[in-house]
Formats: sequence, C-alpha cells, structure tokens
Amino acid sequence: MRVTWLTAAILAASFGALSAPALCAGGTSEGQPARSSGAAAAGESGTDDIGKTVLPYQDVQGVLGKEIRSSADEDMGRVVDVLVDQAGHVRAAVIDFGGFLGVGNRKVVVDWTALHFAPADQRDRISLDLTRDQVKQAPEYKPGKPVVVLGALGPAGPDL
Amino acid sequence: MHTLEGGGAKDHATPKLPAHSRHGPAPSRASLRGLDWFVFFMADVQTGFGPFVSVYLTTQAWTQVDIGLVLTVGSLIGLAGQMPGGAVVDAARSERLVAACGVIAISASAIALAAWPIFLLVLLGRVLHAAASCLLGPAMAAISLGLVGHAGIGERLGRNARFASIGTGLAAAAMGALGYLTSSRYVFFATAALIVPTLIALFHIRPSEIDPERAHGGKHDAGLRKLGEGLLALAGNRALLILAACALLFHLANAAMLPLMGSLLTTRSSDWATVLIAACIVVPQLVVAAFSPWVGRQAQQWGRRPLLLLGFAALPLRGLLFGVVTDPFLLVSVQLLDGISAAALGVLVPLVIADVTRGTGRFNLAQGIVGSAVGIGASLSTTLAGYMSDSLGSAAAFFGLAALGFAGLVLVWTSLPETRADAVD
Repeated sequence: MRVTWLTAAILAASFGALSAPALCAGGTSEGQPARSSGAAAAGESGTDDIGKTVLPYQDVQGVLGKEIRSSADEDMGRVVDVLVDQAGHVRAAVIDFGGFLGVGNRKVVVDWTALHFAPADQRDRISLDLTRDQVKQAPEYKPGKPVVVLGALGPAGPDL
Repeated sequence: MHTLEGGGAKDHATPKLPAHSRHGPAPSRASLRGLDWFVFFMADVQTGFGPFVSVYLTTQAWTQVDIGLVLTVGSLIGLAGQMPGGAVVDAARSERLVAACGVIAISASAIALAAWPIFLLVLLGRVLHAAASCLLGPAMAAISLGLVGHAGIGERLGRNARFASIGTGLAAAAMGALGYLTSSRYVFFATAALIVPTLIALFHIRPSEIDPERAHGGKHDAGLRKLGEGLLALAGNRALLILAACALLFHLANAAMLPLMGSLLTTRSSDWATVLIAACIVVPQLVVAAFSPWVGRQAQQWGRRPLLLLGFAALPLRGLLFGVVTDPFLLVSVQLLDGISAAALGVLVPLVIADVTRGTGRFNLAQGIVGSAVGIGASLSTTLAGYMSDSLGSAAAFFGLAALGFAGLVLVWTSLPETRADAVD
C-alpha cells in the first residue's frame, strides 16, 4: 500500500514553488488576525517608520496544522489552508477531514465564521459549528473547481 | 540447536525442507530466524515512514504544497533508484552490509525528520529514505535467495510476506496509538529506535551461509558500471518483460482502488468511516499473513501460473464489486480479494523473477526493472482514477480500474509462461 506515489506532472507543477516555501517552512508561518489589520496598514507613508503593532502572545495564533473538534467533540481533522477573497478577508478554512492512515481523508472547506478559536489557555483547540455528519457529504476541495463552503449560515457571516 | 536441524536433514529426508544439493549445507536455524525478524522489523520501519509523514508535517504547519513536493521527490527517487539499487545489490559481495547501510540511512532520516522538521533536512531525509529503500527491497530478497537457493525460495518468500504483513499491521497499530497519545513526532523517534532490533536480527543471519552466487541468481560479474550491459541483457528476457508489463497493469488498476473506496466511505458513513477504513486496510494484511506461506508452497507444487492467475483475477472482480456494492460492511469483505491478490503477487512476482533470471547473475537488477514498472503503474493510478472519478463518477472509475486489471489478467493468461523449473538441481 503505497499512498505517497504522485505523478511527475505534479512535480513539474510544484517545482515552481520550490524557492519560495523553502524558507517559510519552519514553525509558525501565517497567523491570520484579519480583522485587526487596520493598525498595520496605517503607517505606510514613511520609509523608515513602518507601522508596528504589538500583539500580546495569547491574542493571536497560527492556524495551519491545528486540530479541529466539532461541538460534540468529534475529531474534524486539521486546518491545512486558509482561503481569502480579493480584499484579503479570510473567508474559509480548508480542513483535512476523516480517513485512517492516509486513506480516505478529504479536503473540505468550512466557513471562517463557523470556526471558534479558544482562549490562550487552550491554544490547540479550534472548534467548528458543524458535525461529522454534516461535513462528510461535502464535495472535495480541488484547485480549479468551484469551492463549496460549508456552514455559511450564521448571522455573523460577512455580506456576499 | 542448529545441529539438530543439520543432522536431521542429512539422515532422513525431512518433508519440510527440500535438499540443498551442491550449494553447501542448509542454512542454520539462527539465520532463518534472523531473516524472519529482519523482515518483520523492516516492515515496521517502513510503516513508520508511510502515512505518518504527511500528518506530521501538517502538524508542523507545513503547507500542502511543500508536503506534496517532499513526498513527490521521495517517490521519484524511489522510482529512479530501483534499477541502480538492484545493480548495487547484484555487485555487492556482502548483502548483509548493504542491508545494514540501508537500515542505518533510514534511521538517520527518521531522526532528521523528527528532530528538525525544516524543509532542507526533511527533503534530504526523504531522498535518503527513498534511496535506501531501493537497496533494502532487493537486498532482502537476495539474502533470502542466498540462504535457501532456488529450491527453497518459494516457501521462503511466502514466509517473508507473512512476517512483513504482521510487522506492518502491528507497527501501524502501535504507531497510530503512539501518534494519538503523544504526538506524531514520536512516531519518527520510535521508527529510528527500531534500528536496534533490526540490526540485531540482521546480524543473526550468518554471512557464511549467504551464498553470493545464489543471492545474485548466478555467476557474479554484474556491477553498477555494467548497468547498461545488464539492462540490455535483461531486455532480451521476454518472460521478465511480460511480467513487468503485467505488474504495471496490476498496480495501475490496484493502487488507487483502496484510496478511492476510503474516500467514498468517508462520505457515506460518519461514525463508522474510520473503523471501516481501518478494517479495509487490516483485512488484506490478515489474509496475506495467513496464506502467503501456503502460496509459497503451492507455487512449488502447482507451478506459478495458477496462483498468479488467481491473484490477477481477484483484482478486476474487486473493482466490479466496489462499483456495485454499497453496503459498507459488505465492502470490507470485498477486501478479502485484495488480500488474495496481495498474497499471490507478493510471493509470486519475486519468485518468477528468480526463476527467469536463474543463471544470469542479475536477479536483483531484474527486481529493479519490475519494481520500476510497479512504481510507474502505482503512481499513474491515482491520477487516472481521480480523473475518471471526477468526470464519470466513482462507479465508472471502479469499472475502469477493473478493466485495466482484467487486461493484466489477460496478459498473464496469454503470454506469461510457466517458469517453474522442472528439474531440481
């Protein structure tokens, strides 16, 4: 059972990305405190004094690779990507859902507003308003295909 | 304790072991046990490297692009290294030394992965692991053939398959539990630690009992520098090329079948999906562990073709059933067919290679050729199945895979000769 075989075509495609990710692969890459971007964008006029915002450590967190639990405490997989719209607003998270030993897992997209981030003392927890039953039928996230976002029902969702 | 065995073999013809005629004495019990456990622990080590890499790197906040790149590079090295790896084993004077180097390299790459998950080291680790695996596969078969010779290799390969299957199953369970209870990083430390029992088992195999000429399938003049010459010589080996083509078709049809099924199970059943997928993985392992030794013995009595046909026939049947059966619990029982295929091919493919390269001294290079065919088939399978599934639906994808498997069966039926040597020499 060899799950990791991919094709040469994929290699050709991904070699283009070789140089960029080589350095950012370390631990904490992108935290996404999207809503608080106002302060950071403010001071772009000067060349030397770029605006700085200091955030307390426990106020923000990286989300890549974080485990997600449902409200019923089911294992919902891990965050593997974050989707933003053209304005840069975070719209959805791609989660790697289900499966066993690399067989049967699928990438599905859930609405950002359906995710809840725990306070600092339980940093590794991200909870999702959906259950396994609701997520299992979702079509798989694939580049080049329309993205079906689950859980975009709450009143807190952004305007479309 | 081996005096018991040796004495018995001389006086009365024991029914179990065929007589080892002119190639010196029968291998000692210690060597054979050592090989059992070496195969077992190697399977453990390789399991640690399989599915856990991608989970581990995901937890280390790696992007999917990077993970895919690292895995793909590893796969391509693993593919390109098949033939050179076989040639190295053919040229080696000590199979044991080659195997030990491979084990150490894999252990080193596991430590690198666990301790420093940065891009460069992980990439190097994957490359090292893939290259070492290209040596270890043929080295294991060469040690087996060198110990028992052509007369006993069928039974030996069956036993190897049993120990490998048990090793994979236990390791997957233990490492899965370890990853769940601690973190997936410790899976790689555990993998690295397995170097100790692996090497102990390896050093129980007595080097004096591994006949190098036997291990290479004949007079030993091949080498890495003569790779081209060796390939030319084997290119004229019709039975070998047909076997490679059959193996390619088989894995083209087979490799994507379980992942496709697993993906479907995830969509169909939420509570049971994980358990069902686990069962779909474990059931074939159990079949292999139970039946491989029997396959090895029957291959000697019935010949190779009937068992190969059985293994190749089980695949298209499985594809058809996957396409029509929807009851999840019935699907798990369809996986019995996967076990039948795996048991038959796991024993018979190396066995037929040993048959058709007898006297050439290029047994391991020939394994590399077939290994390349397997790798190409398996790597194209996922893409092909994904394409069929996206455009035609999953049932059609299963039927398409079944058709490819059927083509493999037809090729075995029409073109692959019986390769069992009639005369025991």
